[in-house]
Parts: sequence; structure tokens; C-alpha cells
Amino acid sequence: MAHRFAKLCLILSSFAPGILCGGNIDYIPDIRPILSDKCYKCHGPDANARKAKLRLDHRKEAFSRRDGNPAITPGDISHSAIIQRILSKDPDEQMPPPDSGLNLPQNERDLLIEWVRQGAKWPEDDRHWAFTPPIRPPLPNTNETSWARNPIDLFILGELESGNKIPAPEADRETLLRRVTYDLTGLPPTITEQDAFLADESPDAYEKVIDRLLRSPRHAEHAASYWLDASRYADTDGYQNDRYRYMHVWRDWVIRAFNENMPFDRFVTEQMAGDLLPKRDFYTQVATGFNRNHRINSEGGSIPDEWIVEYVADRVETLGTVFLGLTFNCARCHDHKYDPVTQKDFYSLFAFFNGIDEAGLGPNNGNSPPFIPVPKSWPLLSGEENKFTTPAKMKIKVVQTSVPRPQSGPPSTVMVMHQLEKPRPTYRLNRGQYDNPDKSVVIQPDIPEIIGGWRKEWPRDRIGIAKWLTSPDHPLTARVTVNRYWQRFFGTGIVRTSENFGIQGEAPTNPKLLDWLATELIRLDWDLKAFQKLIVTSSAYRQDSRIRKNEKDGGRDRRRLHPYGIRDTALSASGLLVEQQGGPSVKPYMPPRIWKSISNNGYKQDKGEKLYRRSLYTYWRRTIPPPTMMTFNSADREICSVRKDHTTTPLQALTLMNNITFVETSRFLAERMLSSAKNPRDRITTGFRAILCRKPTQPELSALLSDLNFYLDDFKKNAVEARKFLEIGEKPANPKLDVSQLAAYALIANTLLNLDETITLN
Amino acid sequence: MLTRRSILQNSTLGLGSIALGTLLEGRAPPRNSLGGIKGLPHSNPRVKRVIYLFQSGGPSQHDLFDYKPDLAKRFGEEVPKSIYPDERKTTMTSGQSSFPVAPTSIRFSRHGKSGIELGETLPHLGKVADDICVIKSMYGEAINHDPAATCFQTGSVIPGRPSMGAWVSYGLGSLNKDLPAFVAMTSNGTAKSGQPLYDRLWGAGFLPGRFQGVKFRGQGDPILDLYNPPGVTRIQRRRMLDSLDQLNREQHDLYGDPNINTRIAQYELAYRMQMSVPDLIDLSKEPKHILESYGPEVTKVGKYAYNCLLARRLAERGVRFIQLYHRGWDAHGGAPNNVKRQCNDTDQPTAALIADLKQRGMLDETLIVWGGEFGRTVYCQGKLTPKNYGRDHHPNCFTYWLAGGGIKPGFTYGKTDDYSVNVVENPVHVHDLQATIMHQLGIDHERLTYKHQGRHYRLTDVHGKVVQDVLA
Repeated sequence: MAHRFAKLCLILSSFAPGILCGGNIDYIPDIRPILSDKCYKCHGPDANARKAKLRLDHRKEAFSRRDGNPAITPGDISHSAIIQRILSKDPDEQMPPPDSGLNLPQNERDLLIEWVRQGAKWPEDDRHWAFTPPIRPPLPNTNETSWARNPIDLFILGELESGNKIPAPEADRETLLRRVTYDLTGLPPTITEQDAFLADESPDAYEKVIDRLLRSPRHAEHAASYWLDASRYADTDGYQNDRYRYMHVWRDWVIRAFNENMPFDRFVTEQMAGDLLPKRDFYTQVATGFNRNHRINSEGGSIPDEWIVEYVADRVETLGTVFLGLTFNCARCHDHKYDPVTQKDFYSLFAFFNGIDEAGLGPNNGNSPPFIPVPKSWPLLSGEENKFTTPAKMKIKVVQTSVPRPQSGPPSTVMVMHQLEKPRPTYRLNRGQYDNPDKSVVIQPDIPEIIGGWRKEWPRDRIGIAKWLTSPDHPLTARVTVNRYWQRFFGTGIVRTSENFGIQGEAPTNPKLLDWLATELIRLDWDLKAFQKLIVTSSAYRQDSRIRKNEKDGGRDRRRLHPYGIRDTALSASGLLVEQQGGPSVKPYMPPRIWKSISNNGYKQDKGEKLYRRSLYTYWRRTIPPPTMMTFNSADREICSVRKDHTTTPLQALTLMNNITFVETSRFLAERMLSSAKNPRDRITTGFRAILCRKPTQPELSALLSDLNFYLDDFKKNAVEARKFLEIGEKPANPKLDVSQLAAYALIANTLLNLDETITLN
Repeated sequence: MLTRRSILQNSTLGLGSIALGTLLEGRAPPRNSLGGIKGLPHSNPRVKRVIYLFQSGGPSQHDLFDYKPDLAKRFGEEVPKSIYPDERKTTMTSGQSSFPVAPTSIRFSRHGKSGIELGETLPHLGKVADDICVIKSMYGEAINHDPAATCFQTGSVIPGRPSMGAWVSYGLGSLNKDLPAFVAMTSNGTAKSGQPLYDRLWGAGFLPGRFQGVKFRGQGDPILDLYNPPGVTRIQRRRMLDSLDQLNREQHDLYGDPNINTRIAQYELAYRMQMSVPDLIDLSKEPKHILESYGPEVTKVGKYAYNCLLARRLAERGVRFIQLYHRGWDAHGGAPNNVKRQCNDTDQPTAALIADLKQRGMLDETLIVWGGEFGRTVYCQGKLTPKNYGRDHHPNCFTYWLAGGGIKPGFTYGKTDDYSVNVVENPVHVHDLQATIMHQLGIDHERLTYKHQGRHYRLTDVHGKVVQDVLA
């Protein structure tokens, strides 16, 4: 972006009389984004929407002479219709048309004019970068030689140096420990872990921490939370009455896979085709639940054919976003408006997922077929139990006059993929509508031509899809995957639009780094832990995020914690966190009548330990997701989500100050502070370290000490009020502690939980 | 990633312009002084705000507005397949052996100078009939509650799109410093608690989360976690906020991150909301005759009448989009009784809201929208008797009404066939209604877009035409 504007400055000056020194315009980075955003809607890949037979996404056609009135005449603005049209003031002539809602700003107009003036250069190979396989770039030469720890740094440094910038210094050890512990486990480092790291003077102290974190089961849980968002995992069906389903066994499979460090290609293969593999077993079969996590409609009166189409389309769209970084949903109704993906491509992919023995209408509560019984010993299955299980065939029973419902799977089952003996025929659906198929051609399973790379020997089923996705020369899977990791560790992807690598997505800010990372992930045999270690050991990752002293300084941005991390921090720092892996989802504190007020179900809150489990285990009702998580911009799990913007709202302040979870955790953190030392300074320091992984500064300490005395005075005068405050939350306060002391410290603890720094990674 | 992108992102946003929250939210367009998009409104706005009284479950047009007296003669006759083909029936009824005509058992009469025809269960609406504009020719495609309601609220049957209120607060910003720009309230019907609602109906979809509707709750704190916990005083809270302010500023000095300033401002706004909301819901200064006009349930928190009065109070305080939902209209069986009970909940408060706004001179600057996600079938679901019948979902025609600024008062628009099965004159699609609502706020529905997944999305997808005929 910046690059485009810089060029424009040159060009604008070239329009001043007498000055002719325009910069060279490149079609791919400079011109195509404009044509695509402003023109493709009517002059792009979608043949049905095309106006005046003009195609501006296609080199040959864009230059073809139509009725003696060429759209583009290289070097000749006055004989280039596109330029005349964009300059026209006549509403009938003007492009984009005034009623299109599209607006061509002056800078883009100037770029187009200058491009045509310079000869409208349009390279022969104009394939969009994301559709060509990544080629491992050579490592750049840099002037600075002592900063780089690994190749990532060389690419970063190369980019910095080209902008005449220098990297930021390394963050201090406390900041670094906090950053990497959150990034790898979603939790803050404990005080013991802090002490151990600060005392370890060995040169590989940081690396040891990384190895410890990557081995920790907390890492697998944290890694899983991102995958659950992308996989639209939930505990309910998502439509209307939002009936219950039972998919936690699939969720536990994901955690288990990350725990084992299952290579990513295997991870993809089992989820795509674990029911079809030659060496299939119970675990690989459970993995296929990925493609069953979509919403299912159970509303009486629904027309089954309509909804099966929705489910299959959801699978294609999720595959598009998660693995290909492409917006396939556009091609469901018509050829894609921007990317060379046709409607036929959509239904060719659709055909891979259209042969499942499933029902259009869900059962009223429970899993929808196909599902399999889960042995009681899950997840530790005996050899005998760990075998592929054929699901019972779908049986439809008509209820309430004419509502066709399948059998319902109880909580002891899990939904999986299972092929029909004879798959449903796939047709192109006109305008994407289930009741409007083009029956003239049965569409065969195939992949989009523009991506290519299909090998003849692969079976035309989901195994083939898995092989294709994980093939080393696939242009997208590895790039899209490493980009999401970059987004997780740096806040922003190398391709900022991590959900869209298409023509309308943003160009990579450092394309060579992206390709190097993609090829590196493959070279590492898709070893995700090794790949993450590479990132977090880089100097780029370790940079300080404090204010840059001057413009030359690089550095990195602060980031908001994952929404789950905010609640989990409070639980962890207070000592209330119950660390137990897997199992059915739990129902922690919720506001009164949270479900009942707008639905026909009641929320039955759990008791005891289940109130304090990590947030990824919280029961996820799609139509009424947990408000405290949504307040911090959690994904809603209705559809696949790989990127969430973080906003700041007053509701977040209210949550952290007044929500029962944060009040109760404040009280338990206060107990920890009180028992840690005798004097207030050390106690406050304990609280600081438990949450922020650092000691307070002198001004911070004085402010909080003065607050403490103020609160103490207050509560001493009014022990009744103090007691009320201490009664919030299920777990009782330690009766041996002084009431006013505990209440005053609890307010201090709550202050700490409300600091901007607490929910941010510096 | 190594640039200070956050500075760029936020450079257009002074603290003064922040209404409800800001951002780490990507490429934000330039904003106007209210926090809306620069260049908006596109045209002279006819109203300042919208109050949308959503009647969830699908109210029956046959028993409320779209009177077909001739149908009485056809009681029990089969609805001709040529009028109502089988493939347009839901699977709740498509297996019925018979589809007999169920004429309404409700009496109708004409009201006001305009002579608008209303069922007898709407006596209060009758008194303000000359203020409303009835559209008998609404139609949509979705035949199930979830997709139909989602389409009315977000313009698409597929989840993930912003709701109308979110679009409006994104586009226009806020007129209030102490309250959200978009508020949602729900109430349950007496006939039956009704079809569920979903958070997405007032969600922000792909817009930044701060534009989502803030739910005013019928139980517990009026806004989630609004009040200080028991035992904590306002003085203590002020003290805590002062320290947070100081400590956060020290962080800002170190890191220069503008998001820290935003957070500081949001804590102050939260603190102000702790004052402004109790004031908003304190009805003690409402005169007795006003309270009485809204009916006996006006002081019962979470009831429709209470929400209507709150809607007026929110309107007075500058809230842009006030979205009410009343559940319970899904009358698959016992339709006459359902209509009576639902009207008993809603008729008086709805009419009172119109009258109350009018006497304050505010009706002219407010757009009131009344209606649900679809209508109901002319054929009977289940057993038919002259006094009792059920009706299934029917998206092909149903009734909405509008009132307020720029709307033709006392006007009836659109016409359905003799069975109220299809629109025969002046059809108004869901997207047309949305385009019209936006137009009244000064928004061109084709020009308020947001780029997401590479596409410029808008509320009305690629459809929608402003219904000029109903505009005064």
C-alpha cells in the first residue's frame, strides 16, 4: 500500500507542467487491485454479469478491439475508452457508474492514466501470486550482520534496511517470558516460572523455556482454541431452537493431535478423510467431525433438500477459508466476481462432500447421523476399542404429520463423516438455490482449475482432497497456514487479510518471507512445534514494543490477548484455575436467565471445579454465545472464522470490574497476596507478578498503597459492606482472614485485572 | 508488521469523537464528528432514529390487517393448488391430506379519517390509525423462522452479516455521549413464550464488534455487569478509575499505543453509563397519565409495555436505533386466541408510543417500524372450526406498518389476492423495506458498504429499492 502511494507522489508531480519524471507503474501491484476493486464487478470473471462484452481481468480480451473502440490503447489516453470513461462527467458515460456505489479516487484515476500513458504494460504471465507455487527464495544479504538469529530475521532485516530502518532492541526478560508464555500456552507465567527463568543465566535459558512450553498440555489447549474458531466447533446446532449436539470428543481429538505434535499434513488428512484411509481407526474417524461442525437445522417445517445443500456448501466454504484462503461462497451463486473461480469450480468441490449419509433436517436434540458410539474409556482406547466403526444407517421417521426426522445420537456418540454407498448426484445450482439445479450435466468431483496440481493417480474422493491440499507444490495450503501463525505471533498476518489470498485480498507485505516460511514448514515435514519454535526464537519476535525513539526504529506492536486468555489469566493468577484436559463442555457463571430470556431452554450453571476450567471448555451455544467472551470479540462459531478485529468498548470495562468471575478471582488473588508476605509492598508485588509478570514501578506501588489504605479505612468502618463484597462467587473466603483486609486487597487485585497491560501483550 | 500500524489506524479518531468504543479494527474509514463515516448522511435525513418493533414468530395478516370478508363464504373449501402449490408449503403441513380455507374469526372495522381496516384486537392502534402507513404487500423468501428473521435483521439468511442497527451506528455514529447508539430489548409473549431469538439479530457481523446492539436486559443488571458489586461504593470505584487512569497513562508514555487512550476513555464512559442508565430506567418522574397510557404492564421490567416506554426514553436521549422484539406470534394452532393474547400484550403500548412521541413533537423525527419475519397461511393447519384454526408460515405476503417522519400517514399500500396468498399490487421485498428505512435516515443503502473478504458488502446485498410511494 505504502509503496503504491509513494509511486503516486512521483506521478502526481509528473502532471505539473514541465516535469516529466513519473515512476514506473507495475500492472500487478499497482493496476490490477484497482481494476479488480472498481471494474471487475461488471468487467471481470463472471460471464453473466459482464457488461459491454468487456473483460478487464483477461490480458488478451482487455486489449482486443471491440467495434473499433479499444478499451485500452497503449500509450494513447485519448483512444483508450477506459480512460475516457473514468474522466467523463456525463452520468451515462462515467465509469464506475454513479449509481454503482463505487468511487474511483483521484489517486487511482491518476495511476490508471499514467499506466496507459506509459504503454499499459501487462506481463504475459499475469497469474495472481497466490496461484503459483511458493518457490524458496535465497536468503537476502543484509548490511547489519549481528542481529539475525535465523532466516526469518534476514528477511525482516532486509525489508527494514530497504526502508532505511533498524530493528528494535530485544525486549527485557520479563516481557519476553510473558509474551512467549501467552503465545504458546494462552496463560501467564507463574511466579515460580518467572523466578526460574530470571535465575537461569545459561545462554539457552530462553530456548529451554520454549521447549518446556511446547511440551506442556496447556500449549495443545491453546493451539486448539484457534482451530475451534476456524472449524466453527460448538455444542449446539445453531438454528432456531439451537438444539444440543455432542462434539466434545472431536474437540478432544484436536487437543490430542496438538499434544502429540501431529504433523500438519496428517492433521489435515485425518480430518478430511479419516473414515476412508486404508489405516483408519477410531481416532481418525473421530477426526472427520471437522466436516460435521457446521450448523444443522432442526426447525420443524424445514425442507430437507434445502438444508443438505447448506451443509455441503458450508464444508466447501470452510475448506476455502481455512486451507485455501479464498472466498468460495461467492462462487456458489455465480462465477466469482474477482477471482478466476467459476461456479462450476464451486460445485466440483461440492461433489467431494455431497455423498454423506446425512439428513437435511436435524433430530430434535442430539447428534445427527452419521454418528458412532464412543467407548467409555475415551480418550485412552484399548487396541480392541480403537477400530473403525460403521455408523448405523440413517433412518427417517415422519413426525408431526410430515416432518421427516432422523434418529438422534445420545451424548455417548460423536458425529463423523460416512459415505453413502451411492453418492448424491451433484448439479450446478442456478443462483445457488437448492430447487433450481441444472440437471443437464452431473458435476464430477474436481478442484478449481486455477489452483491446479491434481494428480491422476489420486482417488476422486476426500483422500484425494487431502493429498492435494498437502502436496508440497500446492500454492496455498502452506502459505495460508504459516500466515495464520504469523498473525498469531505478530498480531497481523504477512497477508493482512488472512482469510482472503485472492485478488481482492491484500498483497503480502514481505512476499519472500511468506514463501520462505511456507517452504520451511514443508521442509520441516509440517512439524508445527518446530515451526513455532523457529518463530519465537527469532530476533524479530523478541523485539521490544516500547515507543521508538525515532522514525528509523523498527519494532513490534502490542497485541490484545485472545478473548479466552483474559478470563484464563484471572483464573490462573488467582489460583482458581482447574487444569483438567478434555471432557464434556462446562457451564461456568452466566448472567441470570441468559438462555431463558430469549429461548426455550434454561442454562443450568455447573458447580465446584467446573466453574473454573479453561475457557475453551465453556459450553458454546451458538445463538447465545457466552457474553463475557463475546464482549472481548470472540468468534461466534456460527461460521468459520480465522481473524477477529479487536475493539475496545465500555462493556469490557464493566465486565472486568463487575462480572462475578472477575470479582471472585480478585478475591482469591487477594488471598494469595495476603499469604505471600507480611508487608503491603511485597503483597502488592505478588499481585503484580502473578498477573503482569513484573514488579511494580515506584509510582505504581505508591498509587496502589495509597488506594489500599483508602479502601482499608472504608471497609473497617463498614465491615457489613466488606462482607457482602466477599460473598460474591461460589467458593467461600478463608474465614481466618480479616474481612476488611481481604476486601481492600480484593479491590487492589481488581485494579490490576483492569489494567490495559493485563489484557495486552507488550 | 513492523510498522506502527496502530497509529495509522487510529489517527483519524480523536478521543472526543469516540462514542461507544473503538478499535484495533483494520482500515477504518475517515469518521465524522459523531463517529460516523465521513460523507454521511448521504442525503438530508428525514428522521433521527428508528424504533423497530419486531413481532417475532410471524403475526397473522389474516387476523390483524389483511381482511378478506369474502373468504367467510369459502369456509372449509380447499385452497386451490393453482393458488397455493404444494412445494411452497413447509414440512409442518405439506403432508396434510387437506388444505381448507380458514377465514378469520376476528371482526374487522375501519378507523380514523383514513378508514384503515383493523382487526378488533387492535382497538388502541385504531385510535392512531391516521398516523400509520399499512403495507399489505410485504414478501420474502425464507419460510423458516431463523433464516427469515435473520434476513429481516441483517439482509441475508446466512449468519455473519451486520444487523441493520449495526450498519446505522457504523454509518451515522452516535448522538449521545453516555449511551450506546444501538440498543436491543426483548420480551416474551403471553400466548406462548415463542420462537427463540439469537444474538446475531442485533450483532455486528463482520463490522467491528463495537457496533453491535447493546442488549438491555429484563433481569439482573439492565446492561450486563453495569452495577458495582455489592459492597463496593461509587467513591471506591472513582478512586480505582483514577488509579487506572494514572497507571494506564504511564504505560502510554512507555509504549505510545493510542489504544491505551481509547481504553482510558472507555472506562470513563463505563462510569458515566453507571449513572446514565439508572437515570434512563428511573420512571418515577413519568406522569401518571403517561404511565397509564402504556397499559398496566408498563412498570414491569422486561415486558413489552416497559420496553416501549424505555424506547421513548432512549429516543429522547439520542439513541439511534432502538430494536424491540416481542416473541410469541407463531400460531400453528389456536390462531384466534394467539392473536388476542399477543395484541393484549402489545396493542396499547404500541399505540401509546406513537401518541407519546407525537405529543412531544418527536414522532416526526422518528421512524417506527412494526412487523415480523413472515405471515401465515390462509389454509388451516390442524383441525378447522369456525372459532378455531391454526396457520403455518407464509412468506409470500404479509403486513408491515410504518409511522413517523416522512411516511404517508393514514395510508394503505399494496394489495394481495382474494386469499392473501400472493401480492397482486406494489410488492415490497424485505430489502426494499431496508432500503426505505436507511433512506429515511439519510443513508443510500447502495453506498453504505464495508469491504469484507474482498467484497463490498451492504445491508441489502445486491437488491432493494426505496419504496417512494409510501413517503410523504
